[in-house]
Amino acid sequence: MTRENAPERSVQELYRDDPERADALVFGRRGALKGAALAAMGTALGAGIPFARHMPQGLVPAALAQGAAQPQFLQMEGKAPLIMQGERPLNAETPEHLLDDAVTPADKFFIRNNGSVPDPVADPRAWKIRIDGEVNTPLELSIAELEQRFEVVTRQLQMECGGNGRSGFSPQAAGNQWGNGAISNAEWTGVRLRDVLRAAGLKEGAKFTGQHGADNHLSAQGPAISRGMRIEKALDEDTLICFRMNGAAIPQMHGAPARLIVPGWPGSLSQKWFTRLEVKSEPHTGRGMGGTSYRIPVRPIVPGSRNNGADFVDMESMPVRSVLTSHAHGTRLPAGTRSLDIRGHAWAGDLSVRDVHVSTDFGQSWQAMQVAAPPNRHSWQRWQGSIALPADGYYEVWYRATDSNGRMQPHVAANWNPQGYGANPISRIAILIG
Amino acid sequence: MRVLHLIAIALLLGAAVAVAQTPDLARRQAEAAAALADRQEEETVLTEGEGRSEVFGYCTACHNTALIRRSAFTRDRWDELMDWMAEKHGMNPLEGEFRQTIVDYLAKHYGPRARSPRGGNPFLN
Repeated sequence: MTRENAPERSVQELYRDDPERADALVFGRRGALKGAALAAMGTALGAGIPFARHMPQGLVPAALAQGAAQPQFLQMEGKAPLIMQGERPLNAETPEHLLDDAVTPADKFFIRNNGSVPDPVADPRAWKIRIDGEVNTPLELSIAELEQRFEVVTRQLQMECGGNGRSGFSPQAAGNQWGNGAISNAEWTGVRLRDVLRAAGLKEGAKFTGQHGADNHLSAQGPAISRGMRIEKALDEDTLICFRMNGAAIPQMHGAPARLIVPGWPGSLSQKWFTRLEVKSEPHTGRGMGGTSYRIPVRPIVPGSRNNGADFVDMESMPVRSVLTSHAHGTRLPAGTRSLDIRGHAWAGDLSVRDVHVSTDFGQSWQAMQVAAPPNRHSWQRWQGSIALPADGYYEVWYRATDSNGRMQPHVAANWNPQGYGANPISRIAILIG
Repeated sequence: MRVLHLIAIALLLGAAVAVAQTPDLARRQAEAAAALADRQEEETVLTEGEGRSEVFGYCTACHNTALIRRSAFTRDRWDELMDWMAEKHGMNPLEGEFRQTIVDYLAKHYGPRARSPRGGNPFLN
């Protein structure tokens, strides 16, 4: 898939002008890489490839972009230059190396919208949230009342787009072509949804939820999105109705004045501009439910084939994933650099991360990194370690996490589905020494 | 005691100022998001070809062209997406010649970018 002009334009541009370039643009691009092409690539890179003999056949180096359009970056007050995925709806991805903070600050929090961003309200404390449906006592409580009536808790919680990693799929799946950057791990303050549900009193038929928010669909027909989950997840101690993020008011972009946080499950459940939760006896049928939306095949289907998703299942706990945050893809280091301290984060939906391994020789050998325990359940975990670089030249750092059940990130995105959920292949960044 | 009161008042005032700045940023961010969404695009941002005007006019009623330009789908998948948008996202159903014009354009100009050396998926072709 390498284009004719890729070598000429690749590395100088990437390294000099575009170090933040999303791995999305280079990952998953495969092409024949034979002797001559390998030599040409070394020339183009301006460097030898120390582990070239280990480079798998048909794998184009991470540094070689496809030569298509350059990514655009968001310019917005209070936001870092995130990678633009689209203006309408507004979606922007955090470059991996901007995710280095243990607690994701507001400016580096990815943006995911299904509709339009509502106008801020004059009196956030008076914002009301309704709980109804299969409950004994429907409730309508303001944020002030929620805070007064229920225990207020603060947790570091991962919140990840259900489509994170989608660009790993081949053939391309429909939707934002996220790399690994549709992930956040902010410190959220709010009340437990389960405390509020218990106050309302769940009826016997309470099996599912349906979430509602204030954002409108771009067609101006109804709500932007309205998803639901099994009641068990709603009753998890980490599922919160939040009104503060990182100790401050929730930013408008991220759901002010109140939003749900449903950590470890697709971010679309973490309803922004949260107004109402229905308790239901049957699965919710709002926009974003059913068919191929946030659903994955039980039996693998042929990649690229038609499927209406009727026998898919809802995506619940997100798969294990890791990011490398200490160095940007395309980092150039001084000649003679022989070792490098690297770090990042890893997480695994409702599970935790057991191991992170790194390879600098295209997967021929793997080295264990140190993985810290999470500060609380549903937080991502810091990993770090040191790698050796035996000579100057071009390297790829491959990184792979393993969850607490022993499942690893696969070599390529698995279980293709039309809307592209669950892609968590091994990631890699390119670095150049000298 | 009076000192404590003064400190408390000072803290409250400080908190009020801190909170007062947040709504301003919130409003400016909402306005910035709206401005991005309202940013006018030129039809020429799409590849030239028969059907471009129809595609630009119809599709940008709901979303901007980034969603088209990032895509690389077969004709069959583009066709499937027309039904999906109608069923799930309130698009007026596309039919007949008009649908063919739109799908033909998308498949021709925003089709799969390249073949892998192994020639694609053996189960599809």
